[in-house]
Amino acid sequence: MTVYKVSIVVADGSHPGAILNLDHRPIEGETININGNLFLILEVIELMPPRGKFQYLHLTCIPQAS
Amino acid sequence: MELIEILRGVELFEGLSEEELKKVASLCMKRTFQENQIIARQDSHGEELFIIQEGFVEVAVQTQGGRKVIVNLGNGQTIGEMSLIDQGRRSATVRALSSPTIVQIIEQPDFAQLCESECRIGYIVMQNIAIDLSFRLRQRNINDIIRG
Repeated sequence: MTVYKVSIVVADGSHPGAILNLDHRPIEGETININGNLFLILEVIELMPPRGKFQYLHLTCIPQAS
Repeated sequence: MELIEILRGVELFEGLSEEELKKVASLCMKRTFQENQIIARQDSHGEELFIIQEGFVEVAVQTQGGRKVIVNLGNGQTIGEMSLIDQGRRSATVRALSSPTIVQIIEQPDFAQLCESECRIGYIVMQNIAIDLSFRLRQRNINDIIRG
């Protein structure tokens, strides 16, 4: 079981961002849901080297256009 | 999902054995919050470690310039682990954003006692706290760069 701990930054500042665990590796172009708010992933980078079953990723996002 | 499975997905407990996780699980109390309910208040004495099992919380600080939301935290994240190290007051107010927000609570004195009596647990947890703080610092740095 790999756990993807992700930090999410919303580029336009419209949302404070989030930290959460995912059970799959997010990819650019995918939509991510933060408490009912949808965001488009623009960039995925490794924030820190993997450790144990954890991978540490940073996502840059923008609000998903409705 | 069983509590052990939930704890296995929490970074704070990464590296603990099954038996060690069971000892941690024996300290957990499940609590459910509704949207807007305050989980922890800034400047209060923090006596609990919170593990977010389901839902989202908002972490916000009150400054002289007003209230500022720092980040939202989702499943698998922990709140209050810093008080294990510094016994300080809560640095932020934590509020449930979703209904329900399910949290596992560990009383800080009980957890500190476990960490002291089981040195391996204590060492691993302290190491994991350091990793988590590093992650949050890097997240904050990138946030500042991207958003100016």
